[in-house]
Amino acid sequence: MRLQIVTQKDEILPYLRDESNWTGSAEGISFPQSEDEIREALLFHAQRHTPITVQGARTGITGGAVPHGGQVINLSRCNRALGMAWDEGKQRFLLTVQPGMLFSQVQKGLADKAFNTEGWSRESLKVYRRFCSEGGWSFTADITETSASIGGMVSTNASGAKSYLYGPMRAHVEGVRVLLADGRALALRRGEQFARAGNFRLRLEDDTYIEGKLPTYRMPAVKNASGYYIKPDMDLLDLFIGSEGTLGIVAEITLALSKTPARAWGLLAFFSETKRALQYVQALKLLGGAQKPAAIEYFDRACLDMIRREQMEAHSHKGLPLLPAAEGVYVEFHQPAQVDVDARALQMRVMLQNAGADPAETWLAVTPQDLEKLISFRHAVPESINRIIAERKREDPTLTKLGTDMAVPDDRLDWVLRLYTESLDKLGLEGLKFGHIGDNHLHVNILPTDGQDYLRGKALFQEWARQIINAGGTVSAEHGIGKLKIAQLSEMYGARAIAEMRALKRCFDPLGALNPGTMFTVEENA
Amino acid sequence: MSLEIVVCVKQVPASTRVRLNAATNTIIREGIEMMLNPFDAYALEAALRIKTSMGGRVTVISMGIPSAAEILRFALGLGADRAVLLSDKRFAGADTLATAYSLAAAVRKLGTWDLIFCGRQAVDGDTAQVGPSLAQKLGIPHLTAVSRLEFLSPQRILCEKMTDEGYQEVAMELPALLTVVKEINTPRFLSLEGYLETLGAVVEIWGADDLDLDPSRIGYDGSATWVMSTAAAERCKNGKEIDGSPQEVAAKILETLTQQGWQSLTSEDRHE
Repeated sequence: MRLQIVTQKDEILPYLRDESNWTGSAEGISFPQSEDEIREALLFHAQRHTPITVQGARTGITGGAVPHGGQVINLSRCNRALGMAWDEGKQRFLLTVQPGMLFSQVQKGLADKAFNTEGWSRESLKVYRRFCSEGGWSFTADITETSASIGGMVSTNASGAKSYLYGPMRAHVEGVRVLLADGRALALRRGEQFARAGNFRLRLEDDTYIEGKLPTYRMPAVKNASGYYIKPDMDLLDLFIGSEGTLGIVAEITLALSKTPARAWGLLAFFSETKRALQYVQALKLLGGAQKPAAIEYFDRACLDMIRREQMEAHSHKGLPLLPAAEGVYVEFHQPAQVDVDARALQMRVMLQNAGADPAETWLAVTPQDLEKLISFRHAVPESINRIIAERKREDPTLTKLGTDMAVPDDRLDWVLRLYTESLDKLGLEGLKFGHIGDNHLHVNILPTDGQDYLRGKALFQEWARQIINAGGTVSAEHGIGKLKIAQLSEMYGARAIAEMRALKRCFDPLGALNPGTMFTVEENA
Repeated sequence: MSLEIVVCVKQVPASTRVRLNAATNTIIREGIEMMLNPFDAYALEAALRIKTSMGGRVTVISMGIPSAAEILRFALGLGADRAVLLSDKRFAGADTLATAYSLAAAVRKLGTWDLIFCGRQAVDGDTAQVGPSLAQKLGIPHLTAVSRLEFLSPQRILCEKMTDEGYQEVAMELPALLTVVKEINTPRFLSLEGYLETLGAVVEIWGADDLDLDPSRIGYDGSATWVMSTAAAERCKNGKEIDGSPQEVAAKILETLTQQGWQSLTSEDRHE
């Protein structure tokens, strides 16, 4: 084949791992630059019955991109924007990109109105000229790790702080082109092909069909990225979003853009007790409709202590005033006009006072520059945790970060926060709680100091997973299952559901060639 | 004793993409997103900290179009006590000399002052001239690029000034004017309460007739310098994309650089 396969061990080495810090093995890796080249690689490997792992930017933290033997198809060079269209029905622009394009590249292209339009169709260029002459348009999917690829975001149904208002990746995908393991292609547009009562019949581009039954499990009513997205009469586009590359390779994605809100502003409020912070959060969650916040994020006292320590000792986090010893709640609003900001600000004063916070000590960001500072504080929390872990790893290379990604129903938020705090205290483990409290989705990070801590933390996570599943929650709300949370997925849905999921995968990938070891263990007979 | 502190601030475009007035070659400030000049935020913070520790009153002053009142309101929300905007069509198109002359007239009108703060420079014009020029017009000493400040007595300060080589320590008597660099502090956030307080806050607007000045020395006509032409920097687009594995890419970069006359440093060179 024309596409080169790299087989030198030292050149493959960096591609054997992702941000999960797990390392796998592979015999070779290829870097296709187009759909044709992806197909070429797929067919080449299919003929040899070689298992394939698909990679984007390898920023995932559950090991989805870590190869399980066989060959890697790395999509990082499929990184171009392919065109733009106007959605007359919903009055918005649609941007089509290759899967390896980074989230940050899309954001920059939109902000600067500067995409490389080489090879775009005349129609696309016409729409693009209109896009350039209009006001701001945004891709409002939101993730903390901006170096993630769009394909990776589709694959895990990624989300972030602002998914509270805008929804996860799923809400922003209008279409995909998918290549199956045997090289056949299908083009899915939202609203075109649906399942009926749990059965589906999907038309491929060569006019052949794939038919099958959808799994019968019910997804928990929480933010969720565990297993396939299944609903009896679902839009079949949704089946591929969050499927972690186990059904096919997403070769092209059409993203829906929305008008940039005129005013984006944020508030970081500080609380002396968890109880008061929660009271404030509950009040914020009652704001609906046009009043709904874009993001509600929580940071426990340990998070603020960690950043403050770095501010004092390392003089890092420049531009951020010294944080107080307290818990923090960050809320962001996106509004159409300045007058709305003033009205909301007055309302927020009352809400803060009711929850026992001081509006005079609440940090307000009304300028884009100040907002950027608050957002970078939000991002600094996981980064600082990673730095601490990296330091400890130098002492003991077996240590890694233990991070949860579980979400619970609305009425269990109180309970889960207590569960986390009490069990960490009881075991004397160093833990930090932060994240998307608006979606009842907190990340708990345990910082082990030695191997024993690590094992105790791991056991604690299993225990939490069990209790959270019983409470109607999910084991993964946004990171996906990958290779690290297979046991938890099984615990969440049970053996029958896993068998149904495997059967669904076989409809699209009968030989189990794609992403073996992701979402399920490798089948012995595959 | 309580100090009278003045902070000069400027509203600058929030983006580097600006349009220029073809006739005057000055930046068109209407209708674009504007912000407080970043260096001025440090100047204001320095003033507010002195107010907290020594007691006193902070007046912010700016010259600009009516919408510049926004940044002054912002300064009031942060803790400034009084805000004055010099806004009059006759001030328009002023160079640094005419600006400093107008500001000096305004500061004199304020009456007494002990300390005047300015940011090191504005990020749009980048001249760093208005501060020193204002001090000269007021007949007071000034120090630029101040990164640290302490009071030796209520009327005497010790400053650390950043230079290309390092720092200078300078003690000076008040009244004085200081321009500050970002190393001096970390500006506070506006508080929610502060913001709400500014919703009804008054920014005083002064026109040329409100000040004791010579009308021939203000605005475009009173300027000693005019911008003859302005051009956007040409973007150099001969970048080259190199593809391949990290090793291949590194080797190709090295090869390309060597071809263009770049020589790798030996350890001896580095010690020179």
